[in-house]
Amino acid sequence: MTPQLLLQMAVRNLGAHKVKSLIVGSILFVGTLFIVVGGALLDSVNAGMEKSITQSVAGNLQVYSDKATDPLALFGGMSFGATDIGEIEDFESAVGPLRELENVKTVVPMGIVNSTVFGKNDIDLVLDGLRTAVATGDEAQKAVLVGRLRRIVDTLAEEIATREAIVADKEKLARDQEALREAGSQAFWDGFAADPLPALDFLDAKIAPLASDARLLYLRLVGTDLELFKQTFDRFTIVDGEAVPPGEPGILLSKRTYEKLVKNKVARDFDKIYKEWTEDGKRIADDKATADAVSRMARQYQRIVVQVSPDQVPALISELQSALGSKETDLGTLVQTLLTVDDVTIESRYALFYKAIAPRVRLYDFPVGSEITLRAFTTSGYMRSFNVKIWGTYEFKGLEKSDLSTAMNLVDLPTFRSLYGKMTAAQQAELKDIKTQVGVEDVDRGSAEDALFGSGSIEAAAPVEGAPVVEVAPITAASAEAPAEVATLVLNAAVVLRDPSRTAETQAQIQALSKEKSLGLQVIDWKAASGLLGQFATVVQGILVTVLLIIFLVALVIINNTTSMATMDRINEIGTMRAIGTTRGQILVLFLTETAMLGLIAGGLGAITGGLLVAWMGVVGIPAGADILVFLFAGPRLHPTVGIDNLALGVISVLCVALISAAYPAILASRVQPVVAMQGKE
Amino acid sequence: MPPIVQITNVVKEYPLGKLVVRALRGVDLTIEKGEFTAIAGPSGSGKTTLLNLIGCVDVPTTGDVIVDGHATARLDDKALTKLRLHHIGFIFQSFNLINVLDVFQNVEFPLLLQGTASPAERKARVEALIERVGLKAQLHQRPNELSGGQRQRVAIARALVTNPSLILADEPTANLDSKTGADIIALMHELNQTQKTTFIFSTHDSMVMAAAQRIVRIADGKIVTEGAAG
Repeated sequence: MTPQLLLQMAVRNLGAHKVKSLIVGSILFVGTLFIVVGGALLDSVNAGMEKSITQSVAGNLQVYSDKATDPLALFGGMSFGATDIGEIEDFESAVGPLRELENVKTVVPMGIVNSTVFGKNDIDLVLDGLRTAVATGDEAQKAVLVGRLRRIVDTLAEEIATREAIVADKEKLARDQEALREAGSQAFWDGFAADPLPALDFLDAKIAPLASDARLLYLRLVGTDLELFKQTFDRFTIVDGEAVPPGEPGILLSKRTYEKLVKNKVARDFDKIYKEWTEDGKRIADDKATADAVSRMARQYQRIVVQVSPDQVPALISELQSALGSKETDLGTLVQTLLTVDDVTIESRYALFYKAIAPRVRLYDFPVGSEITLRAFTTSGYMRSFNVKIWGTYEFKGLEKSDLSTAMNLVDLPTFRSLYGKMTAAQQAELKDIKTQVGVEDVDRGSAEDALFGSGSIEAAAPVEGAPVVEVAPITAASAEAPAEVATLVLNAAVVLRDPSRTAETQAQIQALSKEKSLGLQVIDWKAASGLLGQFATVVQGILVTVLLIIFLVALVIINNTTSMATMDRINEIGTMRAIGTTRGQILVLFLTETAMLGLIAGGLGAITGGLLVAWMGVVGIPAGADILVFLFAGPRLHPTVGIDNLALGVISVLCVALISAAYPAILASRVQPVVAMQGKE
Repeated sequence: MPPIVQITNVVKEYPLGKLVVRALRGVDLTIEKGEFTAIAGPSGSGKTTLLNLIGCVDVPTTGDVIVDGHATARLDDKALTKLRLHHIGFIFQSFNLINVLDVFQNVEFPLLLQGTASPAERKARVEALIERVGLKAQLHQRPNELSGGQRQRVAIARALVTNPSLILADEPTANLDSKTGADIIALMHELNQTQKTTFIFSTHDSMVMAAAQRIVRIADGKIVTEGAAG
């Protein structure tokens, strides 16, 4: 039988058995479509994620100490101080040989530490300002701040009154109300004018604690060579303020952190509602969650009112009256009215908020240019505080809306070292000296119990007679505010490659180099370095493959049944062919060719349709609804692309499934005896 | 000259559930080359079984069937297939053409299976045969576009195309009207006369039997009479 005739018979048989061809073809078509579209999307997400991770912080490879207890997870493990990835001792010597590798473009030193920042509440800030004004004799400022303070006291008195019914400790409530009555009386402020300090102490001790607690912010910090970081990661861009000048300590907050954590809560809420209204089409009239959010935001009006300086109040009232068309004279009511937006007023009110209110309130807890006190648990277990200047905010272009990509805030390496708690060589020498003088010895964690309670091999330390008394200088504010020296500490480093397609090859080279030159490094790729997040594509791929396997299993059964039934219908034809001299092998080949042809036609159509579908999605873009999607899509929309490999994989997989499904019916056909031809009817 | 078919004490049994049906009960038959032989008998007499054994689409339970010098009981499936392809042509009661192939391709099919003739040779031989059976105008029509008589003519051309030494026809006129049936028998007879091809056909049609050179009558799995027609 010639191949030409075989193909012709196969094609014609497909036409002659339309129902079978249609059922099997449809399954193969859908299967191919699924593989092509799923594969292309997955590849695009993978590529997007690679971009997000490699171009933001991870680089293509990450190196860290081979003595690390825990694996490096740049985006995972938010546990404070719980992970131990060791240190790269003598960074320059360790990574120097890496820089000589031909595919290595840059090696950026890094270290990650988690820190906290306490935000001050409004009364704390006003009291701070008032103390300064009193000290400097700034009467005008004093008057403004007293006005604000009295407004805060009035607001607190109202809040306390509303709590009366639900508070269990009636005695404390009575004490608080008495304190607020006193602070709200004219006599108290007359006393303040005469002698401000006792009045300020009273406000500090009795009134400030009644205000809402200040917020505690958690910041994930990446200590790095900020200049090198800026040069290496192309997407990095300064949004507010400026980059930290070389050699200066400082922090760059991520723009996202700045907007979502540091910004005034009412402004944040309004931003979110407005964004959802404009970008997601969530209408206040139709969407209950949005309506609730508006209602909650309007109830927060006091957060705005207490921040407005008394000297600004008349102007603001006038501006709001004019814009809102109201004759209301109470600022609180006007602000509440402004915040009670609906689908008609939201746009004008949002603009009004930023035009009239924002300039008159503290829009950010820590404005760019101010100093914050970062607190972190050191590796030794004690808390370390460190004041740094916020030089600016940054973001990665294209990833502005991703919390994940901007989850890290950047600090200089000396600041990182201080927060991490690593002693400099000079400090270590000093400690050694002290130990020698007082005669103590190191006890490791495992032996601490024995050492302390007197059992085991280590003797309890006895007082050393005649040991000198060592004077240890107290830690002063000044010593906490600036690093003692610019010695750096590096925990890990991002290796950026010239040709990212050779990541695996370079990874192997670095691993070999580290072994050969005893660099003490281990190297992982960006996927592994990003922790659980990096496994996302693998997990999705696993799900896709499982779904595909289920689909294929179902397809296998359906195709098998359909083809078997079709084979039964063709027994007479097969018998005839066998009788006139066709071998079993030729029958087998004929049946498999038919299925292969169907697989190619249906698979080809499926691949073309899938390709066109992905191309269309590539033009339109798939919106990233959630933050994680912005990160995985490497932007607000995914523009997937389809490659030849996606198309080929679709067609080949479906072809294989089709052939496996058709194998049994084909074997059945080849077993038909020629004698059947003599019995059958046409 | 050795006979084209030599059947000796052939028994053929078929299992039917727990029973065994004995379709042939010790048949002896010799057919010489060039004969135009009818095997006649009522339905269920065993004539198709006998034809199956001669056509190598089945093998005897006991006894010997020798076709063109080959003892079929000793051949495996592959060898039997080869034997059918090169030595035997089949004409079926229901024509059994391959519906997805046209007239030319149906006739050409056995030659393609043989794989020995060149395309030009195949074309020449197929077209000559189709012209011979009077279907030149239907060369590229599919079987479902032909009448019963035309289909049987195609089947005859297909049976003849490999120049087999033996052609078996199982009730070749059963699905045809009497005039068409007579035409088909006449054609077969003419081919037998001109090409000296051996024809063995089963029938219970007296008109067909009248055309036969020799009639072998079979009943209850045994040959009851044997001799020249008429």
